Amino acid sequence: MGVISRAIHFLTTAHNWHGSTGIAHRLAEHAGMSLLATVIGTLIALPVGLYIGHTKRAQFLAVSVGNMGRALPSFGVLALVFPFTLRYSVLRFGGLGFSATLIALVLLSIPPILTNTYIAVDGVDPDIIEAARGMGMNEAAVLRKVELPLAAPLIVVGIRTSAVAVVATATLAALVAWGGLGRFIVDGFATTDDAQIVAGAVLVALLAMVTELLLAGMERLVRPKTATRVPFAATPGLIRRSRPTKGRS
Amino acid sequence: MRRFRSTVLGASCALIVLLTACGSGGGGSNSNNKSGGGAAACTGGSGKNLTVGVSGAFTENILVAEMYSQVLANCGYTVTKKLDIQTREISDKALQKGEIDIKPEYISSELAFVDPSAPSSGDPAAVSARLRPLLANEGIALLPYSPAADQNVFVVTQATASKYHLKTVDDLAPVAGKLTLGGPPECPQRPFCIIGLKKVYGITFGNFKALDAGGPETVQALDAGAIDVGLLFSTNPIIQSKGWVVLKDDKGLQAADNIAPVVKQSVLDSTIKSQLDKVSQALSTDELTKLIARVDVQREDASAVATSFLQDHNLL
Repeated sequence: MGVISRAIHFLTTAHNWHGSTGIAHRLAEHAGMSLLATVIGTLIALPVGLYIGHTKRAQFLAVSVGNMGRALPSFGVLALVFPFTLRYSVLRFGGLGFSATLIALVLLSIPPILTNTYIAVDGVDPDIIEAARGMGMNEAAVLRKVELPLAAPLIVVGIRTSAVAVVATATLAALVAWGGLGRFIVDGFATTDDAQIVAGAVLVALLAMVTELLLAGMERLVRPKTATRVPFAATPGLIRRSRPTKGRS
Repeated sequence: MRRFRSTVLGASCALIVLLTACGSGGGGSNSNNKSGGGAAACTGGSGKNLTVGVSGAFTENILVAEMYSQVLANCGYTVTKKLDIQTREISDKALQKGEIDIKPEYISSELAFVDPSAPSSGDPAAVSARLRPLLANEGIALLPYSPAADQNVFVVTQATASKYHLKTVDDLAPVAGKLTLGGPPECPQRPFCIIGLKKVYGITFGNFKALDAGGPETVQALDAGAIDVGLLFSTNPIIQSKGWVVLKDDKGLQAADNIAPVVKQSVLDSTIKSQLDKVSQALSTDELTKLIARVDVQREDASAVATSFLQDHNLL
């Protein structure tokens, strides 16, 4: 039997889904860890990105943190942080390896959200902001009623980028004794169980795709209604479509 | 700034020249010693290509593989080192396929790997007699084992030992349900680990944490109390330096894991055999533990530590 069919067999055997080492539990651990890391990452990066985008201050910082953060290897962070999470009792929550993985994943999730939020807010048409101020809005209202709604789609794209990367990287948790879908990959590797490795990888990929789809849906929801009410003449597609009509008449 | 840089550059050039000069000078006097002392004037290699691998990429195995590489290179073999293979699963396949020709192996672990149903034994002679024909079937020769043995040991901290009155692995039986074992991810599948603990001792731990094979993760987790019992290697210098307690394996779960070279039959010749034998005979468990401490604790280079050991024993 080939490795693919053995992996399918592994995934379709009911026995493998149950219990504390079963697929269902590992999937829940993986999704929970990823969700928590992305939420914390958003809570950190979003306000900072909004502040920088609105005030146009410390832009250099946003760009630097974004770029450096992206170059940071999550595995390196994990290896570096793991001994500290053992040493300090504050960090001993969620079981061995939990806090170390969470820290590595939060650091991974921050740069795309920070950069996208900053760029989205920074890119809002100054004329619109000027108009808002002219109508008597204070800074908080400008941010909340004008900049944030207009920036929302791009911010969600940032969260989506982070979330997918976090889901894929949460596999590393298994290297520091924690659970998640990485368990199948790491344990499969340790015992040359190819089927288990492939099954684990497929599950991670599927979870990443589901995450991508969910957040793509959310992006559609937050898209400001104005964007769909673009004037006819300003839509290049419509102009192009009108030409053949002319020719025919 | 530029001047500073060129000074540094000049200095490092001088250093390199000096080191190279020293190196070749040392080598020269070394070979003189060799012919003088009659220790290791070895010429049987005649440029034959050999690839030396490891069973797994941990300090001890790398050290021994370095020793193999160096004595063979000294005989005129063209030696390539592949010392980054992570597990036996991979290194055994590499040896069968000829991607590596030689690696230091642990006789009982290898036996359990090749034939999981083979009974374990504390007698290295019995183990190697059982393993030899099994490897021969795969075209691999098992050379005589060294007195140096590196065995899996279950280790607890002094505090845990006093709290539960632990001296032997058997003592774990009544309390194991409350304790967490830490070991390599493959532990649940291995006769020397969870499977054997249950079968031989009737011990089932309350929890298992998949860490690494006797490496820094297991050590850190044990040190911090994140696990209660850790599976470590008997030659790990940290056990002594932390004052940890090695639980006596009174029922002989951990079979004799003496170190022996395994060599691809198609490349084996009498020079390889005699050279590797000399290394095996020179090694002892104590000596090996000290060499490991030099690499892991004092951060010396593994290759240099192997060289100094071989020179001390007149093998280079």
